[in-house]
Amino acid sequence: MNYIIGAFKPSCNISITFSDAKTRKQVPLKKEGGQAVSVPLFQSQENISGKISIEPIQGKKVEHNGVKVELLGQIEMYFDRGNFYDFTSLVRELDVPGEIYERKTYPFEFSTVEMPYETYNGVNVRLRYVLKVTVSRGYGGSIVEYQDFVVRNYTPPPSINNSIKMEVGIEDCLHIEFEYNKSKYHLKDVIIGKIYFLLVRIKIKNMDLEIRRRESTGSGPNTHVETETLAKFELMDGAPVRGESIPIRLFLSPYELTPTHRNINNKFSVKYYLNLVLVDEEDRRYFKQQEITIYRLQETS
Amino acid sequence: MVLVLALGDLHIPHRAPDLPAKFKSMLVPGKIQHIICTGNLCIKEVHDYLKTLCPDLHIARGEYDEETRYPETKTLTIGQFKLGLCHGHQVIPWGDLDSLAMLQRQLDVDILVTGHTHQFTAYKHEGGVVINPGSASGAYSSITYDVNPSFVLMDIDGLRVVVYVYELIDGEVKVDKIDFKKTTAATHSAH
Amino acid sequence: MLLDGIEDEDKWLAEGIAGIQHHAFYMHRALDANNLRDALKYSAQMLSELRTSRLSPHKYYELYMRAFDELRKLEMFFKDESRHGVSIIDLYELVQHAGNILPRLYLLCTVGSVYIKSKEAPAKDVLKDLVEMCRAVQHPIRGLFLRSYLSQVSRDKLPDLGSEYEGGSDTVTDAVDFVLQNFTEMNKLWVRMQYQAFFGLSGLQGPGRAREKHEKERSELRDLVGKNLLVLSQIEGVELQMYKDTVLPRVLEQVINCKDELAQYYLMDCLIQVFPDEYHLQTLETLLGACPQLQPTVDIKTVLSQLMDRLSNYAASSTDVLPEFLQVEAFAKLSSAIGRVIEAQVDMPIVGAISLYVSLLTFTLRVHPDRLDYVDQVLGACVRKLPGNTKVEDKRAIKQVVALLSAPLEKYNDIVTALTLSNYPRVMDHLDNGTNKVMAMVIIQSIMKNDSCISTADKVEVLFELIKGLIKDLDGTSDDELDEEDFHDEQNSVARLIHMLYNDDPEEMLKIICTVKKHIMNGGPKRLPFTVPPLVFSALGLVRQLQGQDGEVVGEDMPATPKTVFQFLNQTVDALSSIPSPELALRLYLHCAEAANDCDLEPVAYEFFTQAFVLYEEEIADSKAQVTAIHLIIGALQRMNVFGTENRDTLTHKATGYSAKLLKKPDQCRAVYACSHLFWVDDQDGVKDGERVLLCLKRALRIANAAQQMASVTRGSSGPVTLFVEILNKYLYFFEKGNPQITSAAIQGLVELITTELQSDSSNVKPASDAFFASTLRYIQFQKQKGGAMGEKYASIKV
Repeated sequence: MNYIIGAFKPSCNISITFSDAKTRKQVPLKKEGGQAVSVPLFQSQENISGKISIEPIQGKKVEHNGVKVELLGQIEMYFDRGNFYDFTSLVRELDVPGEIYERKTYPFEFSTVEMPYETYNGVNVRLRYVLKVTVSRGYGGSIVEYQDFVVRNYTPPPSINNSIKMEVGIEDCLHIEFEYNKSKYHLKDVIIGKIYFLLVRIKIKNMDLEIRRRESTGSGPNTHVETETLAKFELMDGAPVRGESIPIRLFLSPYELTPTHRNINNKFSVKYYLNLVLVDEEDRRYFKQQEITIYRLQETS
Repeated sequence: MVLVLALGDLHIPHRAPDLPAKFKSMLVPGKIQHIICTGNLCIKEVHDYLKTLCPDLHIARGEYDEETRYPETKTLTIGQFKLGLCHGHQVIPWGDLDSLAMLQRQLDVDILVTGHTHQFTAYKHEGGVVINPGSASGAYSSITYDVNPSFVLMDIDGLRVVVYVYELIDGEVKVDKIDFKKTTAATHSAH
Repeated sequence: MLLDGIEDEDKWLAEGIAGIQHHAFYMHRALDANNLRDALKYSAQMLSELRTSRLSPHKYYELYMRAFDELRKLEMFFKDESRHGVSIIDLYELVQHAGNILPRLYLLCTVGSVYIKSKEAPAKDVLKDLVEMCRAVQHPIRGLFLRSYLSQVSRDKLPDLGSEYEGGSDTVTDAVDFVLQNFTEMNKLWVRMQYQAFFGLSGLQGPGRAREKHEKERSELRDLVGKNLLVLSQIEGVELQMYKDTVLPRVLEQVINCKDELAQYYLMDCLIQVFPDEYHLQTLETLLGACPQLQPTVDIKTVLSQLMDRLSNYAASSTDVLPEFLQVEAFAKLSSAIGRVIEAQVDMPIVGAISLYVSLLTFTLRVHPDRLDYVDQVLGACVRKLPGNTKVEDKRAIKQVVALLSAPLEKYNDIVTALTLSNYPRVMDHLDNGTNKVMAMVIIQSIMKNDSCISTADKVEVLFELIKGLIKDLDGTSDDELDEEDFHDEQNSVARLIHMLYNDDPEEMLKIICTVKKHIMNGGPKRLPFTVPPLVFSALGLVRQLQGQDGEVVGEDMPATPKTVFQFLNQTVDALSSIPSPELALRLYLHCAEAANDCDLEPVAYEFFTQAFVLYEEEIADSKAQVTAIHLIIGALQRMNVFGTENRDTLTHKATGYSAKLLKKPDQCRAVYACSHLFWVDDQDGVKDGERVLLCLKRALRIANAAQQMASVTRGSSGPVTLFVEILNKYLYFFEKGNPQITSAAIQGLVELITTELQSDSSNVKPASDAFFASTLRYIQFQKQKGGAMGEKYASIKV
């Protein structure tokens, strides 16, 4: 895609292709306009290589002060639009100043790139990876071409993964013991557990389990928290009595979840919570929220 | 063929509880055209029962009958025969054939049916017949010892009457028969 | 306002059905297009209609059925992987993504059904998962229908023995566990309904109506719960041992713990109906042990009665099973269980307790008919339950008591067996007088029907104690209350009964008739005319039996001799004099006299005749009655051969005297000529007093003459010629017998006399007399023509 800086018509086409485009997995990436494009998927420590072709338009030659490709990892806060914070910046010089009067292809490679954070598109923040090709020019502006790609990092199954078991209640009203089989879940995992009713003195209408995402951006006095309920999963219909045990089986795959992100570059965090909600006949809500960790597990094909 | 059932001296319930079961099963409604009963039923229940066997029921009064309006004697004609009916306690000496003969002459009948002695008899007597069907229930009698339950069925056919007697002896029903023939069709009994 | 409520419900139901149809339409489109995603989406929406809280069970069922039908089509789609391309395991997960629990679970059960059928997983695992997951629906109606759905789709897929889904060695346990669990959960939900008020209507109508409506709604749902028990009973692999060890204890546990009266009653009943009787027999102790643990308001007696009735029928079905009953001590267990129930439920109305005993008795009679002690025990237990000396008042309870008393009679055709039940009369004592009599009649009818013979005085005593309502007036009644015809029926029944009391042994027979006499003497004037005659004839029968054994005194105070019996007879017939019933008494005295004659007891016979004459003289006033009575006296006297001259003369003198004093002349005439036979007994050593015969006949003639004259005076015509013809016949009789006093001249004279009489009165035609005379003349002619001695005799008589 051509980014036009200035009012001039583009003077060349820049295309970026990846060397393993045919074999590499593509994933959809939602752009700002709302459309989704398919971009390649990388994980940290991978090599990102390919070719960059620059083709002048209409036979005109392009004079430049140098061609380079940068691999950028950026965090953009939405309250501070346009202001990208680069946490990763790698550059490869592709060409010395000169002229390009016919299609010229430059191979590039970034090896074993440290991309510690995953691509993330949130409410108030996004983290992206992009290849930026710059054809420098003094006047008329540099010609820049971007190619997004997505980074996802996988973690192995956690060595310690305790279940969450807790007893909560309201004095003389409602006592329950809830249990979730793990505290850490991967994106295609299933939450298995149960809710055991120790004391029920209210008339319950139903019970849901919500998955809430809490995105907090900024720090200190500028901290901005955005909470979204991503899933509302009905667990129980009707009023239980003391001694009833209601099973939980919540598959995470249908929901658009991301791994838990803790304090990414001191800029933002994305945390997930399970919110157990009980509603009584008078529509009063009783809830208990519990944080869980979500991670991305390597898919075995 | 006209079937006439002759029975009497049942003495229910004074001297017997009921007709013997074997007799009851034999006596079926609709098969008999007339019943002549020598009396001493003694209660209405027995009358009603007999009526179910055959509506043409003739009864003479016995000295123990509950119903006091039965006649002392009765005559009726069946086919070619004139029959006379009387209980028999009125004819003294009881059971005496000659005295009964007098009654027969008095009633002017071919067949005289009487009871009282509880003893089955059937005599041809001067061209007339005197029949005693005995006691249908085997009731006690001062006159007769060892009374076997018995009744008589007469088959009247023209000038002939066949008298079948049914007796219950030692639990079995035994049948015997006696034939009588009228010599003339005259209403007078032959001499 | 009530109507509004109903209308609203219909509206909501219509809306619900419309909703289902709407979503189903789109679902079908998706199915046709093999679009799994849309099929799931629309089916979930469709199933959301079942989340409604607005419908009563009855209406909810209609909605459910619509959804059910649609789910069948969905199931077919799921089954065919080629259409949707998703493996069954993945499908199983996919449907669990549905946001709302109820649609999710209906879909899960539907997929589960396909999953089991695919055999990609053991049936038991899928079933276990499904029955567990269903716990998420705690709303009673919705939960019950959901689980009912589960039950329906899994019914043919249980891992039963011999089924294609049969699992490993524990396969039947798995099937049973599944059904039991579903049952337990369903029952809990069902019981929970009682604590919930249903949609606003309850409030509008007030508590009473609400409760009624509530109970109706609960009943509508009960079969959903009970069905599980039926399924259990139909699992092939469930045999007695498993039933005993697993099924019954678990079911009972749920039944007891739910502490709900409605559920307990229904489920106990269900349990008994659905499982074989053989099982109940073998688990009797456990089953009965549960009864006292149920809520006190449960109508356990009905349940017990049904159990006993079933067991009774089982016993009756084949004799092979009877030893089983003994082995498990069924009677003892049932008996004590009933006792405990009655004790525990103090408010149980009397009819309930008695009907329990009726069931137990029926059971006992079927299973242990030879154990009279058991039968008596049951009656005894019933007596203890009946309060003190009071009579049962509740009509239904009375009916039950009558049933209780009739059962042994029907079973043991021999009444004597029932008489040995010591508690039988005690039960009868609790009946009011009217019913007591009805029962007494039942007893008598039983005896008559079975032709039973009661052969000892002791048994007779017991019997008469039982039927005492018929024998005498019980306290508090007066016989005016009774309809006359009914009374006659009763007494005639008692009379018939007396003939069934008999023993060959004279000693015992005497005891019997004394016992009977003792009882009937309390009967009062209305009863004696019915009861005395049969007793008298019974006694006369005894006399006849003793005739051969005369004079033997076999010890004791009351030897069985004719004399003793005659003494007895005298007292018995004498009782009739207090009524008065003179005609009957007279006849009976005559029979006694004849019997005494046969026993050669002259003074006894004389005494009886004296009594008869006393009655005649003093009590019999009606002229017709007198005529019959005097003929009876004459007829009996004529047969007497025991009297010596003096006694005989006294009696004949009286007889002839009374004959001549009869009111009407014709009667006098006939009686007098009848008396002629008193002086001529056609026996070897019989009296043959020709003179006195003639005297009688002459006297008769004189009376006939007088009658004639009187008649002509009053009517202006001649009187009854018949009398003369009768007398003539008597002349002929004695003539033939050889009475020298009867001459042919006398006969001739009579003949001519009659002829004259008849001729002179030709205006008044008397065909009867004519015919009689004619036949008499014919007879004379007949005899003349006989020839021989008879012909000679008649030779001189000209007709």
